[in-house]
Amino acid sequence: MSSRAIIILSWKNVWRNPVRSGIVILSVVVATWSGIFMVGFFNGMTVQFVRDQLQNYTSHIQIHDTRYVDENLPEYTIRDADQIINSLKSFDFVTQVTPRTVINGLISSANNNFGVTIEGVQPNLEIQTTAIHSYLIEGEYLKGTLRNPVYIGSDLAQKLSVQLRSRIVLTFQDTQGNITAGAFRVEGIFKTPNKAFNEGNILVRAEDLNRLLGDENAVHEIIIMVDDYVQSENYTQQIQSVLTDSVIVRSWKDVSPMLKYIESSMDISMYLVMVILIIALCFGIINTMLMAVLERTAELGMLRAVGLNKIRSFSMIMLETTFLTMIGSPVGLFLGWIFNAWYGVHGIDLAFFSQGLELYGFNSMIYPELGLSYYLNITILMLLATIFSATFPALKALRLNPVEAIRKQ
Amino acid sequence: MAIIDIKNITKVYNSDQIPVHALNGIDLQIEAGEFTAIVGPSGSGKTTLLNILGGLDDPTSGNIDINGVDLFSLNQKQLTDYRLHHIGFVFQSYNLIPVLTARENIEFILQIQGKGADQYKQRSLELLEAVGLVDKADKRPSELSGGQQQRVAVARALASNPDFVLADEPTANLDTASTTNLLDIMASMNRELGVTFIFSTHDQRVVERANRVVTLVDGKIFSDEKH
Repeated sequence: MSSRAIIILSWKNVWRNPVRSGIVILSVVVATWSGIFMVGFFNGMTVQFVRDQLQNYTSHIQIHDTRYVDENLPEYTIRDADQIINSLKSFDFVTQVTPRTVINGLISSANNNFGVTIEGVQPNLEIQTTAIHSYLIEGEYLKGTLRNPVYIGSDLAQKLSVQLRSRIVLTFQDTQGNITAGAFRVEGIFKTPNKAFNEGNILVRAEDLNRLLGDENAVHEIIIMVDDYVQSENYTQQIQSVLTDSVIVRSWKDVSPMLKYIESSMDISMYLVMVILIIALCFGIINTMLMAVLERTAELGMLRAVGLNKIRSFSMIMLETTFLTMIGSPVGLFLGWIFNAWYGVHGIDLAFFSQGLELYGFNSMIYPELGLSYYLNITILMLLATIFSATFPALKALRLNPVEAIRKQ
Repeated sequence: MAIIDIKNITKVYNSDQIPVHALNGIDLQIEAGEFTAIVGPSGSGKTTLLNILGGLDDPTSGNIDINGVDLFSLNQKQLTDYRLHHIGFVFQSYNLIPVLTARENIEFILQIQGKGADQYKQRSLELLEAVGLVDKADKRPSELSGGQQQRVAVARALASNPDFVLADEPTANLDTASTTNLLDIMASMNRELGVTFIFSTHDQRVVERANRVVTLVDGKIFSDEKH
């Protein structure tokens, strides 16, 4: 019964000064909502970045000749590539597989030349495996309407001053170590969100590239997409266990340590943002509750005098703070969830910053997303913040001397 | 029979700097059912004595026995609990909880004592009736006059059937009519229910109604008269 009395009194005390309590509740709502939305935004941006990178460039798992990883020379091709591709089909988790010929070379136009990575692909398989074809902005994607077609990035096309049907020359080393060159025609121009990729990578048909390499069956890389990229490391071990030691199977985390770092640091960054917001909020709550305690000194002294013990006095202030926070938090969480859900579908268009974002490989359309576990963890963080914020004012109330407190009318 | 036995109480403030002797060896026995006024000029030690009697302040030396209990042998927790169950307080500025109604202010004491709903609801109504404020039961303190608030404070002080009620200048903020009304109520409770009241006061109207007047001067009992 006494606990109920304390709870009711605490609740009524919250509404003693509705404007002040309203402002605190509003600040909790805004902090929680903005925190959730901001974390959802950055999470969506990062997850999207990782997914785009995997879908467009890195893939989930890659297989190479062991020597190729140390030094990517044209002669380090994967032996029995067809056999490996067939064996990969036995894994349920493998959704797509495609071989590639990948070499470094020089691309030259009439005006300029640059070093590029030349990817020889099997267009039909590549379309099913990666999404580079979807970034076509002009022409066609390696359909072969032109002899030796090449699919190049818009940024590279601009630097080379070439357009559709323009002739370019690719110069590289063949599998015998001889310098060779071939004339190609621009059949398609792509523009991915990654400027570096647009400038440094071109796609040609594997059969055209292999002919020039002097090995029609050359495969330097087998690209694998799986059902859940988070499980890639586990899947990698399973694949490696059925293959010979002459090839190395690597998950995207090994292929691209930068992506691994981005993914692993994402959680820390998000919680850091939330913690900073919550700390700022805590000071607001502490300030308000301290004011509430100080202006009620006489009343708190009276309560102690008539028999409210220290635990109950402490609990009363703790509860008042908890009520303030716990009214605002669910509203903020709900608003944050609504915003993340709505923008998660419709996206936030940052076209104004697209050039800057593309420079770092980010898409200018951001779709916020946040797992349910984050909502739970943020709720726990808010609870901890409440306890932290409430403790100081509650201790202040605890230390009141009833005689001195009553005298302060 | 004395319910309160005050033995040689002294209270010295700032004992390590310039000592101020608020109380200088007070010996006093209060009988059950007394209506005692402690009077004296400002600084004579009235409030200090009441605070010590209520266990809100420690004496520098001396003892207080209340119904055989040595008040200062109790620890803080026991002392708080003792106040809750055995002592009623009425303050000069009423000190009601502003967010609770008159009735809830009384019920709050009973609730923290652990009384059930049927008990505290009935008791609060009885007390409001006794102080003539049943019709104001659902009013908050801000909706009551000073006299009405002090009557609620008296009802609250009596909620737990205390051994005695300590009232520190209870009429200091009241007009004549409210003072008379309040004193009538307290006198009637003293007479009919045998409630022991101990006042500290400057108010001659209280002194006139008291059946015992203890006068303090410079922290000592100057006179102790029973009417």
